Amino acid sequence: MTQKKSPKAVFQANAEACDQCGKCPSSCPVTIHVEGFNPRQIIAKVALGREADLMKSQVIWTCTSCLKCKERCPEEISPYDVIQALRRIAIYLELPHPEGYDASVKAVVETGVVQQPQLVRTRSKERKDRKSMGLPPAEKPRDMAAYTETLREILGEETV
Amino acid sequence: MKYALYLGCTVQTEQYGYEASVRVTMPRLGVELVDMAGASCCGFPPFSSVNELAWLYSSARNMAIAEGMGLPLFALCNGCHLSFAETKHMLEQNPEMKAKVNGKLAKEGLRYEGNVRLVHIFELLHDITGKDKITTALSNPLKGLRFAAQPGCHAIRPSRVGRPDDAENPKKLDDLITWLGAESADYPEKIDCCGSSLAVAAGKATLDIAGEKLKAVKRRGFDGLVTTCPFCFKVYDNKQRAIQVTVGDRELEVPVFYYTQLLGLAMGLKQEELGIDLNQSPVDAVLAKIGGA
Ligand code: SF4
Ligand code: SF4
Repeated sequence: MTQKKSPKAVFQANAEACDQCGKCPSSCPVTIHVEGFNPRQIIAKVALGREADLMKSQVIWTCTSCLKCKERCPEEISPYDVIQALRRIAIYLELPHPEGYDASVKAVVETGVVQQPQLVRTRSKERKDRKSMGLPPAEKPRDMAAYTETLREILGEETV
Repeated sequence: MKYALYLGCTVQTEQYGYEASVRVTMPRLGVELVDMAGASCCGFPPFSSVNELAWLYSSARNMAIAEGMGLPLFALCNGCHLSFAETKHMLEQNPEMKAKVNGKLAKEGLRYEGNVRLVHIFELLHDITGKDKITTALSNPLKGLRFAAQPGCHAIRPSRVGRPDDAENPKKLDDLITWLGAESADYPEKIDCCGSSLAVAAGKATLDIAGEKLKAVKRRGFDGLVTTCPFCFKVYDNKQRAIQVTVGDRELEVPVFYYTQLLGLAMGLKQEELGIDLNQSPVDAVLAKIGGA
């Protein structure tokens, strides 16, 4: 088995610069609605070198990518980007994560899109698809084999 | 003016009302849309949370296709537009990563130069097309209606990579609404998130977050919510019933429209041409008020 890179080696967060001002949790929609989620605390843990705890917890999967913390942090730390990096490392280390990500990755790698065109309902319960809407066929990579192979190669490399 | 039309996964696989209304309204404003042969997912999500190179490759791949077409890239979805903007910004600053991405793109004979011009629907309608062209294309102005604008997080943040409207005080969608003859007004919740990205990990939290905005829009007396973001629409419109159940308020009813659907109605186009029969929120009373075709 190949030796996987340690999270520290690929992790660059400017977490030490955090002055715990609290702008991020006061902006964060998830902090209001989900108990135990607080971007300021996430940054504090990273500053203390406790990334491993965060990656093992479900907390990092609860950010909704609103980017308010990234926009407003006076130290340009971007809790959002720190959380994204923690997610990438957690997946790389095969730590538990929401199943939805694996399904989406598989779909994109194999078909070029996150899901196949869906049958949708009108308000009067009629079924519609792209064709009955008069829309052209959905696009996808012309050389699907080359596209799939490239993504597989990237995902198999020792990077996050 | 010609643009490469990038639909993105969500629009092309389920948000047909947005795509249909864009395709039918834009040409009437002199905007020619060219489909992007071979386009694929922009990578944001899932790869942004999974593997950075896979994400940058996915976005650069589509930008490379647009560069090959020699056209500005018009991404319909806020998330895709941001993914392209972030990738462009990152690859500008990191030539090593750019070379790595190009190494991967070469397998399909593609090359990303970095000179693609990105265009957001706010820019295309507000800054490029402009008020005069839009107002003269209308035959059925929307009178007596007041809408809340929902620009969506990814259209306005993060400002440091360049977004089409202001991060804290976005105004373009409000302008666009008023150009149709309707009213718009600032409201404190305007720049708040719909919560849709949480759907993968915590579905209930999405509905709670979205419910806050619907309550605010209703409380403040708006006739409906207007957006150009497929993720916002998916939550506020498609999931409105589920939101009602989650927040325990069956009367939390807010009509939701894509901006281009309202634009089309104001142009006198038929509801079916604009995919309005697919809106799941209670839009009928607003439609009756608008009248026309
Ligand atoms: S990006 Fe995530 S952590 Fe930051 S404020 Fe938004 S939901 Fe909270
Ligand atoms: S906004 Fe920035 S400086 Fe303030 S608590 Fe959050 S991460 Fe720290």
